[in-house]
Amino acid sequence: MTQTTAIGRRTALGMTLASGIAHRVRAQTPSEVKIAMLVPLSGPWARSGILEKLGGEMAIDDVNAAGGIKSMGGAKLRLMSFDTQDSAEKSKDSAQRMLSQEPDLVGGFGCWLSSFTLAVTEVTERAELPWLTLSYSDLITGRGYKYVFQTAPTADAQAKQLLPAIVDLAHKTTGKRPAKVALLADNTAANISFLKEVREHTLKDLGLSAVYDQMYTPPIADATTLVQPIRSARPDFCIMLSSNVPDDKLLLDKFAEFGLAGGKLPLIGGGGHIGAPELLKVTGADILQGLMAGLANWPGHDQDKLAQRFVERTKEPWFGHDSLFAYVHVLIFKEALERAGVADRHKVAQAIRELDMRNGPALFFPGHHLKFDDKGRRVDAVLAMIQWQNGKPVAIYPQEIAVASAIWPKMA
Amino acid sequence: MRQGASTRLRRDGIVLAAVSILYLAISAFVTNSYYQLILTLVPIWAVFGASWNILSGYGGQLSFGHASFFGIGAYTVTLALVYWNLTPWLGIPLGMLMGAIAAVIIGTPTFRLRGHYFALSMLAYPLAILYLLQYLGFQEMSLPMHRDHPIAYLEFTDQRLYTLVATLLLVAGILACMFVENSRFGLALLAIRQNELAAEAAGINARQWKMRALITSGIIAAAAGGLYACVLLVVTPDSVFGLLVSAQPVVVTLFGGVASVWGPVIGAAILVPLAESLNAQLGNIVPGIQGVVYGAAIIVIILAAPDGLYWTIRDRWLRGAMPALPPPLPAAAVPTRTYSEVTSMPLLQVGNLSRSFGGLRAVSQVSFAIQPREILGIIGPNGAGKTTLFNVLNGVLAADEGSALLAGEQMLGRKVYQVCRMGVGRTFQVVRSFPRLPLLDNVVVGAYGAGLPDRAAVAAAEHALHQVGMLQLATRQAGQLTNKQLRLMELARALAGQPRLLLLDETLAGLGRDECDEVLDVLATLRDEGMTIAIIEHTMHAMMRLADRFVVLDHGAVLATGLPRDVVEDRAVIEAYLGKKFLARQNA
Repeated sequence: MTQTTAIGRRTALGMTLASGIAHRVRAQTPSEVKIAMLVPLSGPWARSGILEKLGGEMAIDDVNAAGGIKSMGGAKLRLMSFDTQDSAEKSKDSAQRMLSQEPDLVGGFGCWLSSFTLAVTEVTERAELPWLTLSYSDLITGRGYKYVFQTAPTADAQAKQLLPAIVDLAHKTTGKRPAKVALLADNTAANISFLKEVREHTLKDLGLSAVYDQMYTPPIADATTLVQPIRSARPDFCIMLSSNVPDDKLLLDKFAEFGLAGGKLPLIGGGGHIGAPELLKVTGADILQGLMAGLANWPGHDQDKLAQRFVERTKEPWFGHDSLFAYVHVLIFKEALERAGVADRHKVAQAIRELDMRNGPALFFPGHHLKFDDKGRRVDAVLAMIQWQNGKPVAIYPQEIAVASAIWPKMA
Repeated sequence: MRQGASTRLRRDGIVLAAVSILYLAISAFVTNSYYQLILTLVPIWAVFGASWNILSGYGGQLSFGHASFFGIGAYTVTLALVYWNLTPWLGIPLGMLMGAIAAVIIGTPTFRLRGHYFALSMLAYPLAILYLLQYLGFQEMSLPMHRDHPIAYLEFTDQRLYTLVATLLLVAGILACMFVENSRFGLALLAIRQNELAAEAAGINARQWKMRALITSGIIAAAAGGLYACVLLVVTPDSVFGLLVSAQPVVVTLFGGVASVWGPVIGAAILVPLAESLNAQLGNIVPGIQGVVYGAAIIVIILAAPDGLYWTIRDRWLRGAMPALPPPLPAAAVPTRTYSEVTSMPLLQVGNLSRSFGGLRAVSQVSFAIQPREILGIIGPNGAGKTTLFNVLNGVLAADEGSALLAGEQMLGRKVYQVCRMGVGRTFQVVRSFPRLPLLDNVVVGAYGAGLPDRAAVAAAEHALHQVGMLQLATRQAGQLTNKQLRLMELARALAGQPRLLLLDETLAGLGRDECDEVLDVLATLRDEGMTIAIIEHTMHAMMRLADRFVVLDHGAVLATGLPRDVVEDRAVIEAYLGKKFLARQNA
């Protein structure tokens, strides 16, 4: 994991330097449009930030190679990247620095972690800079802000969709509806509010009974006492909501020890970390086989060629959640700039508000619709599901993006 | 206010006014919003550092968990704004109130601990609060934006106004610190930092002063946290209760200078811009490297200036330039404490006093009396229980049984500072001084401890210095005094509380013969002026000259009492001191 990160960073560094040199040449042409990317490039979330950066840079190169912004005489896009570092207050400082160093930005995207995005958008909103983000928290677009656009389904929306999606998936795959569920989650805020909703409504609505319901405080030291009772309870599937790779590993190893891993008991995790290449390195393909996760989006079969180019270009094992969002965000700015026809942040923001597309960047989302509501949330944003199959996470839900059918063992 | 305070206050006040006006003038010309943010953060962290300095710098009560108060201020402002729409202009004062309440709640159990245990338990509070807030679902609180009347909600489009508010807060914080430093409050805290036991023996109620320091500190830290929330706009438990937040005031204060008003200001003024410019310059090239450079810079400067920049610069370059304080005027009217006249009965009557440590009877059934205006020498071989006897008498240790009546009043069962206030002064084997403070301030501590008001305390301290013959040295820093002068200083400190009984523990230790004689003359004069003294001493020739009567202790029990001449010829005493063999040879 460390090695990949190091290579990733070195590559990223090389790219930054290279783009800096390229910039000096390009700077001769007056028509250049600056977009900011503010993501964690150092600290514990750096890996995700670097994955976003790789996707964003590829999109910039693709747009420029295809002739830039045509309505602006072929103006080239330029990505200005900034580091949030490891805390909300440092993210906010970086945003302030970004705005003062680059006064002619037309928009920006990133932040990845919701608390960073919340802090950063407090600054960008005041500067009236349009900001796109993949962060999930409902708070981000719950403040009545006019310049913040959330492309992922919000956390609440994902939570509401997860269990119905799973039941639906099981029904389609096996022809039977699951009846018994085990709930295991760490006590981080998102999980607490998610399970509250599940216990109060969702279980009843879906005709499910929770045969096991346990919360724990992360990090885990030993998962035995958490996993052993699940085996005795014999659920049809298990929701396993941890929030980091080390806990994922301990839990999965323990499931394997009790003979439940490898697809024998359908396990559903949550969040992008389930699709992280690091998880493969620390556990193994056989243990991960069949592990599912609900998340905001994943490259589907429409993006096969793009994914292949990404892997060749970056040497990353696959094109995933973080890189995909960054790629789409650049494309959305490209569309808005085409419509605005001028490098003006207010006009770009207005163009984003008026987007209503079913092609172009819209094709990157299940449902193929790109439109933002009054709050800045994407209309019809739905949850996607991935599953580890033969050492690789693949999209299995919804139908529009699925590249493989789900592995789901027969239920008694 | 302390002696010389008005000069110091005037000097510091001029510096403060000049620095803050200059700072605001510079910030008025900064239009870059990022640099303006740095200019806002410097005073905020300086205020936080100043609050830490009161408890941990002056008071020596090391706190690794000051984020508790900072975060409580930040969360009070945020929650009040979100749920009650209460403007931060009122939210910050409310946060300060919450900070004070938190200080009482945290201090009450935690001041039972000392040293490292105290420091580590302080660390636990912010971490506990952090998890509690996460559990309660407050992990990402954003301060709602007010598009109408933003100024009424402490929201400014012009960043410079944040800097103005932060600077005003810093001025208020520094004025508070200047008041603390120049009053008995600061001196009491310094005394506690130096040696809590000695401070209590000088009559200082350590627990009460520590609590006051924590409350003051909590209020100031909460104000800094409240304003920080307004600048940050989004509050997360980590950004106001996190470990790094607790470290920030420690770092800026250690860097700038501990126990100095200017230390936190200097530290914040250098470290905050340094960290930010490293972020801006290096962080863009190699993300994360700025932390390494920042850490290395702190290590280098702390190695070069271990006391902090302020003290290092002052000690190294400004020693000659420090304005000399005016020599004190001869004490005009010394207010004297009046005690009920004791004539017929002994001043101190000790009866059957015992104290054991497990199986060891350190003090065993000890009885003796001290008459008014008498010098009683307490002698005995090492380990005889002499110092333990003093410790039991002045409340450091509890007695297992027995009584000790001072002018008919029970001394036992009281706290150390209460015994002091009954009129019992005490000195210790090891002198505890405040090396950077003038001699007079070192002595005034004793007068404050006895509860004298400011003016009377200074007069009493000057009188005490006069009694020991050191009034002409009153303005000299204690660090420059000789061993004999330090011994006399400690004696003066005990005298400044105007006691009627002095308990002196090896006052002559480590002195040469001539120096010894000088101290003996002082003690003899004191007795002639009406003082009653009990003294522990090893130097036999000195005791023979000085003491009116001896009490000899051995193995915790009284071996002999009587006039010096009789006692030294007592066979039992010789045996205890010199052994049976010596006695046998004498007889042979």
